[in-house]
Amino acid sequence: MKNRLKVLRAERDWTQADLADRAGVARQTIVALENGKYSPSLVLAYRFSRIFGRPVEEIFDPQDEDGEANE
Amino acid sequence: MDYFLAMESQIVNPVKRANRRYFIEFGVAMVAYVVVIFASRWLLRGPMEHAAGGWQIAIAVLPVIPVVLVFAAVVRLLRATDELSRQICVDSLAIAGGVTALLAVTYGLIEGGRLPHLSAWWTYVTFMATWGVASLFVQRRYR
Repeated sequence: MKNRLKVLRAERDWTQADLADRAGVARQTIVALENGKYSPSLVLAYRFSRIFGRPVEEIFDPQDEDGEANE
Repeated sequence: MDYFLAMESQIVNPVKRANRRYFIEFGVAMVAYVVVIFASRWLLRGPMEHAAGGWQIAIAVLPVIPVVLVFAAVVRLLRATDELSRQICVDSLAIAGGVTALLAVTYGLIEGGRLPHLSAWWTYVTFMATWGVASLFVQRRYR
């Protein structure tokens, strides 16, 4: 699943470790999310929504490059 | 121990706290395992050498208690860590269980006459080794 975590994190000048601490996850989870290797649960997606003050659909895009729903 | 607990309380991220707690619990359990296994061997070769069979079995299995503590520490870590770490751990355990079962069945079919009979210990050793290797491969999928 594509997402804007890296951009939103960079806008705030946060490191991956900073975001991991705020989200209460391991840094490897942030790495996996930013690289599109892992799709978060709804609970975690809403946590990022609260952290960045943006709706979930503005952060995560369930459409892959072919326009099909991913997972 | 107080030093580690004080450090633990300063960590806000629950995953870091869970990891630190796991390493402390794992370390304590491993030290207990070494102490108990030496004590058990000493008792069976010394003061309890001629004790009743039931007592000897009870003393021989005493080292299982710290192993149970390790198991409890792993379960606590799984419950407290984040969703991806939990998925990696559970996937690795599933692969390790499957590979160990496959190897055990395969060896069971060819041992006896063709190959030497192996101790049940090898099942445990194989499982733990496979779990470690599987963890590395599963983690790579998420980098």
